[in-house]
Amino acid sequence: MTRKKVKLAFISNDATRKATYKKRKKGLMKKVEELTTLCGIDACAIIYSPYDEQPDVWPDIAGVERVVEKFKSMPEMQQSRKMLNQESFTRQRIAKTNEQLKKQLRDNREKEMTEVMSQCLTGQLGLHNLTLPDLNDLGFLVDQKLQEINKKMNEISLQEATQQEPVVIPEEAPQQQQVVPTTVSDNVGLLAGGVFEEQRLDIAGGSSDVDAYGLVPQWFNDAVVGNNATANDQNLGFMNMFGDENNPAAWDNYF
Amino acid sequence: MARKSKGRQKIVMAKMSKESNLLVTFSKRRSGLFKKASELCTLCGVEIAIIVFSPGRKVFSFGHPNVEQILDKFLNAQDPSPTNSTTLQLVEAHRSASARELNLQLSELLTQLEELKNQGEELMNLRKQRQDMFWWEAPVDDLRFEQLQILKTGMEDLKRNIATHTQKLVLMEQALALAACGTRSAHSMTPLGCTLGYGSEHSIEYH
Repeated sequence: MTRKKVKLAFISNDATRKATYKKRKKGLMKKVEELTTLCGIDACAIIYSPYDEQPDVWPDIAGVERVVEKFKSMPEMQQSRKMLNQESFTRQRIAKTNEQLKKQLRDNREKEMTEVMSQCLTGQLGLHNLTLPDLNDLGFLVDQKLQEINKKMNEISLQEATQQEPVVIPEEAPQQQQVVPTTVSDNVGLLAGGVFEEQRLDIAGGSSDVDAYGLVPQWFNDAVVGNNATANDQNLGFMNMFGDENNPAAWDNYF
Repeated sequence: MARKSKGRQKIVMAKMSKESNLLVTFSKRRSGLFKKASELCTLCGVEIAIIVFSPGRKVFSFGHPNVEQILDKFLNAQDPSPTNSTTLQLVEAHRSASARELNLQLSELLTQLEELKNQGEELMNLRKQRQDMFWWEAPVDDLRFEQLQILKTGMEDLKRNIATHTQKLVLMEQALALAACGTRSAHSMTPLGCTLGYGSEHSIEYH
């Protein structure tokens, strides 16, 4: 339970080395015992030190003899299959650590690109900053997100459909009537602003402050239409909605 | 932030009841045991052998310098073992040299892993911050239909922009490749070709 990190090298100071040996040997034996108890298995340990002719052992000489006997009675191949020394053990750990590194890299990459996706959405980051592999990964994430969205939208539609009366009067549920086309249609081929514009035109009483959804102020729809016409990556129509220097996302209040 | 697990708990020193836990515990503790043994050898220069039978009747062993040597020594306790001959010492020295190198390699990798994990933590915090700030960062399951509608439009917009941009980049690279090809055959290099390193040793395919 020391605070200092010990360098993994032979301890040159004799006194320190002996003290370390005593402590660590005791801890090691304890660990062996715990392993046998917790897992109900057989084990033994033999340690030869310069401090004693006789080896330090666990559990005791007789116990060690028994386990070694059991070991030797196994076929040669079984004995050597999982036999390790320092070198091979370290190689094993290196291999495992490499695997963990690869996985962590992948994880971090995904998290990073998710962040990029968020920033692109709000116009904080322009696509021109990205390399081809970046764009590829980003595209993949965007597709994934769209899949999730569509799935959820379908779920909700189905729920509402089963909960509603079979005959739906348009005036009573304007939202539903308007959104159904989107959820049912194939989402891959939506043209720039096309469907969205259609929907916007469907909104009656466009002079009011908010649109038919009762959520988004009219300036948003105007901004979107205007920007969709040009649709360059610097000026994502979406960007205005999420707020920039000109229009802080004041309509957050609506949610 | 809610904790994912309860953290280190005091464990009852008795055979574990759940087999799945037992197997995991065996695997982890066996590995940890060998690690401690290995450290002991390096730090104190001792010889060691550990034999462990697995719950699945397999046997694992760790030994320094190697298991068989130590077992022989133990079993032949009656006969005084011959002192290390020079060859043995040389072999041992060589072995510890490569063991040291490997240890170094391992430490470097572990440090890298630690750094990456920290990066991951930071990225996760960034995401949490965004989720607190913006409604569209919340998990899709938490969003209402109207919100999904809006988010979907934005995503599709982004998707189109990505496609456009990707095309632009691809065309650009193709054009550059063509340019380099052309100049290469004329035995002269444009400044651009030089900068981009399209040398004579590369064969460039284009459609």
